[in-house]
Amino acid sequence: MSVKEQLIAKAKEGKVLAHKCTKCGFLHLSTVYFCQKCGSKGFEDAILEGTGTVATYTIITVPPAGFEKYTPYAFVVLQLDNSDLRISGFMAGISTPADLPIGTRAKITGFDECGILMEKQ
Amino acid sequence: MGSAIFMEKVCVLGAGSTKYGKLADSIADITTQASVAAIENAGIDPKEIKAAYISNVFGMADKQVHLGPVLMSNLGISDKPSLSIESACGSGSVSFREAYANVAAGFYDCLVVTGVEKVTHTGTEWTTTYFAYCSDFFYEGQAGASFPGLFASMARAYLNEFNATEEDFARVAVKNHDNGLLNPKAHLQKKITIDDVMNSAVVASPLKLYDCCPFSDGASSVILCSEKFAKENGGDYIEVIGSGRGGSPAALQGREHMTTIPSSKIAAEAAYKMAGITPKDIDFAEVHDCFTIAEVVDTEDLGFFEKGKGVEAVREGRTKLNSDISINPSGGLKSKGHPIGATGVGQVVEVFDQLTGKAGARTVKDAKIGLTHNFGATGASCAVHIFQSV
Repeated sequence: MSVKEQLIAKAKEGKVLAHKCTKCGFLHLSTVYFCQKCGSKGFEDAILEGTGTVATYTIITVPPAGFEKYTPYAFVVLQLDNSDLRISGFMAGISTPADLPIGTRAKITGFDECGILMEKQ
Repeated sequence: MGSAIFMEKVCVLGAGSTKYGKLADSIADITTQASVAAIENAGIDPKEIKAAYISNVFGMADKQVHLGPVLMSNLGISDKPSLSIESACGSGSVSFREAYANVAAGFYDCLVVTGVEKVTHTGTEWTTTYFAYCSDFFYEGQAGASFPGLFASMARAYLNEFNATEEDFARVAVKNHDNGLLNPKAHLQKKITIDDVMNSAVVASPLKLYDCCPFSDGASSVILCSEKFAKENGGDYIEVIGSGRGGSPAALQGREHMTTIPSSKIAAEAAYKMAGITPKDIDFAEVHDCFTIAEVVDTEDLGFFEKGKGVEAVREGRTKLNSDISINPSGGLKSKGHPIGATGVGQVVEVFDQLTGKAGARTVKDAKIGLTHNFGATGASCAVHIFQSV
């Protein structure tokens, strides 16, 4: 499995496959190949819980092709618990800003052809 | 001015644009029209041009990539080399930078730099979908983040972090439309009010239709040359005194703060350093206002206002034409329009017109130094240039 396929498989389990630099310990999303902090190429897998808080979001009412069935939906940047990592995904069933204040608890629930699926926790 | 690290001073000797908007002519035609306008404005023989730098993103949408040789053939100089550069919405300024570096290094003494886009005939759904390919697609475009959506995410973070309202963002649109009314080549020549913005359809909350720049067709071109060439050819010219580039994480999720664009700060710092000036020395700036929130963030990242204070400056009218600092006298992307491959070059056209007394009713009074700031996607790539009248 490619790294992205592994990331997708973990997202379907509600988890995030991260890569931890074996030299300095810095955490990255698994699609990174060199450490952003020290430049080292050695990584080990770190499986994070796909839970956290909404760092920012938007509610899309004019969607790209393929999202008609989800519209309106929120595109969400999720700040993961217990790390500095953030990851993007989308959340169906959000229609007004009152539904999703910044800081709302949320979790990854899967992955479909449109990307990482999230729900409020 | 600052440390002279290159052998050649670089000048802009001529500039030209098509109108921005929905254009009927082909991408090859408008590329040529803008280039011919710049050549005639410079008053040079096309045979003096040693190479072309072309910026374009979606040539395939109008069935023409490899635009350079088509342009050169149309200009009667088919033996001269050309290069196409793609850096999303920042293609124009990135191409300008590469052209600048080649003149500064002495490889060429005269170049044509032309940016172009032709997309409106494809319709809103096509353009929205394909523009999303400029994001980090696996994480953003694929997950339903349209471009308005990504800037809306920045706007939401800004509203949460600072003392700002959606009405404040609307003031950016109102100001840029006021400026665009004075620009005969602007796409959206229409006076609007804060209420018009607030009552327009929501595209991606909190951004509404009138917070967004339009999809535009258009082409812009400048003649870039050595100072020696400019002097020998006699016409009006301006000098490039600063050039900087920077990068940011491709996806918003990779940025610690979502209310600032790292590449803008890096590029601006490099350009100011090369020019030996500070933000206070800038008389006017053409900045990348693809969405109203972007202009607020840009004016902070470029050092005109402190972080979180850009919105107050807009509220107090300090960025209007001939106020503290004129931001986007051309009307900006918001009103002048955003043909994405052309935009960065079009900003240089505006600075050239301003500093050579050709900007008509939108002239920034007594301006000597102008800045251009143009980025790709959500600022993953950026170039800043600073120009001085001669």
